[in-house]
Amino acid sequence: MKKLLLNPFEKISETKLLLFGIAITLIGSYLGYMFHGRFIGIFSFKTNDEVILTQSLIDNGIDLFSITLFLFFFGRIINKKTRFIDILIPSLVARLPIYLLAFTNTNNFIADLSNSLMSNLDVKNPAAFHIETADLIILLVFAAISIGSLVWSVTLLFKGFKIATNCKTSNHTLLFATGIILAEVLSQTLIYLINY
Amino acid sequence: MIPKLPIHCPSCSDSLSVSQLKCENCQTTVSGNYSLPFYLRLSEEEQHFILQFFMTSGSLKEMATQMGNSYPTVRNKLDDIIEKVKKLKSESA
Repeated sequence: MKKLLLNPFEKISETKLLLFGIAITLIGSYLGYMFHGRFIGIFSFKTNDEVILTQSLIDNGIDLFSITLFLFFFGRIINKKTRFIDILIPSLVARLPIYLLAFTNTNNFIADLSNSLMSNLDVKNPAAFHIETADLIILLVFAAISIGSLVWSVTLLFKGFKIATNCKTSNHTLLFATGIILAEVLSQTLIYLINY
Repeated sequence: MIPKLPIHCPSCSDSLSVSQLKCENCQTTVSGNYSLPFYLRLSEEEQHFILQFFMTSGSLKEMATQMGNSYPTVRNKLDDIIEKVKKLKSESA
């Protein structure tokens, strides 16, 4: 079970994983639309007042394009035999934990909480900011869920990248880290420029 | 039970070589110092992998299905064995 959740790429065939990846991308886009959230970066989820379904699909398309582009480029540097499909699959599957974050905004829960906190904040007098204990606990739980999702997503992506490229050294890990940082920057920039 | 052919010295872990061969029919023994062929210097698992590769006519896809692994996992295993054989070859050259 642990292997299935953290490294499905070792055992499961590429056809099954590709179909699963496409399915979760479509479902994830719908979740973003349904729970009023946007995936504005490869590891980012942001609540939004109104989300159009096509906008959510385009966001995820840009995220996938960015991550696949950089990881394939660095993958080919590490190992010339790296195949596009072996990079595309982890890029699709690793977004599952990020899509699941949409559930945290059920009934605009997180968005309402964040709006009420922001309305309490007086920029001229930040020392007067007050937060209820219950709200603080909710925020901490949300932060823990977000960090957990991020770790799960990066783990999936790294395990998939490792199998796709047969990378072994720490320099290869460094290239992977560079790839995901560049992909995050590119996806956020492209979404800001063409899909806002 | 078929005993496993030891390829490393149990005392110092260095590679073992063949020093004696015997004909089971006439009991003739040949003594000398012969190095093990590359195939025998691989681990049992790697030898099994090569045999499977041969039996599937080199189809990694078919091997992946038979082994219950994904295609890139099988390809990586093959690449690792190729690297190991290259290393063994350069060591013995």
